[in-house]
Amino acid sequence: MSQPERGGPLLRVEGLAHAFNGVPAVQQVSFTVGAGQIHGLCGHNGAGKSTVVKMLSGQLAPDRGRIVIGGETVELRGRQAAQRAGVALVDQELSVVPALTVLDNMLLGDLGVPFVNRRRAAAARCRRILDDLGLERIDPDQPLSALGIGERQLVEIAKALGQNARLVILDEPTATFSDAESRHVFAAIRRVAATGCSVVFVSHRLAEVLDLCDVVTVLRDGRDVATGPAAGLTVDELITRMLGETSHRPSAARGPAQDPAHALRIENLRVPGRLGGFTLTAPAGRVHALAGQLGSGASDVLRALAGLHPGATGTAELRGRPVPLRDPVRAARGGVAFVSGDRKSEGLFLGKPSAWNLVATRLPALGRAGVLRPGHERRAARALAERSGLPGERLDDPVGTLSGGNQQKVFVGRCLENADVLALLLDEPTRGVDVGGRAAIHRLLRQAADSGLVVIFASTELEELLELGDVIVTMRDGRMVGRHEGDVDGALLMRDMTGGAEHA
Amino acid sequence: MTGQMTGQMIGRMTRRVIGRMIGRSWGRPEHAMPAISLLLVLAAFACSPLLSGRPLEAFDVYNASQGFAQLGLLALAIGITMIAGEFDLSVAGTYALGGMLAVQTGAHSPVMGVLAAVAAGAAVGAVQGGLIARLRVPSLPVTLATYIALLGLTYTMSGGLSVTYANADATLWVDQQIAGVLSPRSLLTLVAFLLAAVVLGGTKLGRELRAIGGDRRASRVAGVGVDRRIVGIFTLSGTLAALGGALLGYSYASANPDPGLQPLILAIVAALLGGVSLAGGRGAPLGLLAGTLSVALLAQIVAVTALPDFSTQLLYAALLAVIVAVESPGLRQAIERLRARRTGSTAMTPSQGGRP
Repeated sequence: MSQPERGGPLLRVEGLAHAFNGVPAVQQVSFTVGAGQIHGLCGHNGAGKSTVVKMLSGQLAPDRGRIVIGGETVELRGRQAAQRAGVALVDQELSVVPALTVLDNMLLGDLGVPFVNRRRAAAARCRRILDDLGLERIDPDQPLSALGIGERQLVEIAKALGQNARLVILDEPTATFSDAESRHVFAAIRRVAATGCSVVFVSHRLAEVLDLCDVVTVLRDGRDVATGPAAGLTVDELITRMLGETSHRPSAARGPAQDPAHALRIENLRVPGRLGGFTLTAPAGRVHALAGQLGSGASDVLRALAGLHPGATGTAELRGRPVPLRDPVRAARGGVAFVSGDRKSEGLFLGKPSAWNLVATRLPALGRAGVLRPGHERRAARALAERSGLPGERLDDPVGTLSGGNQQKVFVGRCLENADVLALLLDEPTRGVDVGGRAAIHRLLRQAADSGLVVIFASTELEELLELGDVIVTMRDGRMVGRHEGDVDGALLMRDMTGGAEHA
Repeated sequence: MTGQMTGQMIGRMTRRVIGRMIGRSWGRPEHAMPAISLLLVLAAFACSPLLSGRPLEAFDVYNASQGFAQLGLLALAIGITMIAGEFDLSVAGTYALGGMLAVQTGAHSPVMGVLAAVAAGAAVGAVQGGLIARLRVPSLPVTLATYIALLGLTYTMSGGLSVTYANADATLWVDQQIAGVLSPRSLLTLVAFLLAAVVLGGTKLGRELRAIGGDRRASRVAGVGVDRRIVGIFTLSGTLAALGGALLGYSYASANPDPGLQPLILAIVAALLGGVSLAGGRGAPLGLLAGTLSVALLAQIVAVTALPDFSTQLLYAALLAVIVAVESPGLRQAIERLRARRTGSTAMTPSQGGRP
């Protein structure tokens, strides 16, 4: 599979480093990619893959190190500069705009597109590129908003592959794809590579990486730890390199008293395009973890239960009473508290004091005849702050000024000690939280479970899953893959989440 | 003979244009909304003799087109910023400033007056655009401040009084009838709309404008020079608003230091009727044209039928309500919910009351 290098490397990355506010994300990354080579970039969450991609595509300036493309050191100040240097990007978060048509999206931001539109020529080219990817069903004149998330991603890939670049970077391009879609995309990537274009491929799906790539570089903690041909590697070896010493949970994992009468029963929960038929019974008293990468459907389970997916179908029962789907207010009334992964836009009132945020969900209990009693409110807020480990002197500060860890404590604390809350659902409970805050939040969740709540969280971080989850449910492509209790290690979870077991 | 041929040609072209509009994009709100609104108002205009008891005359159409000229450039200015996801409140101030400058500097040479107004409008817009793009601040507070500051400026320039414009030739010229129903003023406004339609529809600028309004982060990642475009958009809106103000000043033979909020509000109504979304990313100059024509015609209907003055406002409100309800996300979500409820066996029925 691996091709001989044609005339030296096209891309050389030397000693790249970047820190966010003093916290190093990438410390020392070097690798080379030959012309026509498909180069895989692997690493666990936080290894620095996305930061490397951002530096290669002109979205971030490196603190140290240099990028050499075609023998010239380049400084990529912005996406346009990167395009001029011949770099095309498939962004993890998509750079297509729903308000435009497919054709307009393909042309958007492409420096090679003439100022005056030549509709006919552009439409014909667009048609050809789409057909190459097996997208005969997509009409260039369709608005992108009419397409599903997977098809949008395909359009984004089509756009990047159609830009006649020297280097195409694909950051998690297949996260939401079916196998058939992936096959088409891989064929197209191979065709582009065969023309001498270099490809950098970043993915969590390790089997795919080994299948597609010529060479794989593994990143860990912001450094490149291994580079080698993909041909001889197995998924397990790759996982070992990614994780270093595999984290293994002591087999005597705690089995706290479970309370089946107070369970949350989920049956055949579906969200069109995201989640297909999810069934789980989560008894109170145990912490359930949903392990899945982006697009696996793990967070969609929680969002659907919280009433945030208007198209969700299925049944959910909490303590024997049905939980209404598709309506966030009635879900909350039914006892479901949801802690979103996006606490800034879907959780806290950032401009309001912590105390105000802590009591915001229990105002009826603190007032009399609809009028609040400040004394009660104050006492309740103080008790909750103590309970959730929030420094008491920060109660009057706006939540927006707190650290990520303390913000999350406020968010979780808001759901505690509340007779109306029977189930606590958390999406990425410690995203952007420092180590100390993380441990405190884990303690809080454990206490919540011990006090008889159903606790389910979704996470992509192995350590967190192993540390906190009594029952770990692995997910991929909108389906449950495995269910692990007690003895389990990170490599096994990783295999479930990335599809290693089927392919390797 | 030739007349018949031209008639046939025009008929064929109209059919083709309408056919394409319906065929490709009837289902898209930015086309459907302005078309529905314009058709509704046109039908009402055609029916107005039933109420007024006298047939429509060319002069009624001329009056409507004058109303269109008064509002058009302002609506185009604010509509274009709304497509790009911004909101330029300062156009009302630039409108006032343009009129004041043109009237004060253009007594001898009306062209000089217009140029002075347009240059000032462009400068104000460019400065605002630069602030908004570089500092990444929302446009509402910035343009609100500019609006207030510009009103202060026009008061200072005029001592708080209306300034009369002595050049009667210019006043007569801008409002003279062309082909019975148009005037240089309304023609110029129409040309501005058509130019905008050609530029936004036929070049990458239009695509980038809608992209910036639709998803700014994605546009940036895709390689659009977002900051430069924003400066350009505000420069354009300032220019258009100042031009509109200057022409209005000539037409009235006077400039008012504070034209009030009515022009701004009508311009926003016109933009919304024109299929522009407040969230940005949606809309086109031809839609804006249809929206503006709807507003102008509606005012003329009220005038022709001698309805009481306040009914104009009520009619605007009613039209806006109809058009907005046609395409509301709440309605769509409700439909989606209904569909999911019908297909899936769900937990809706037994739990109606929730907690007792």
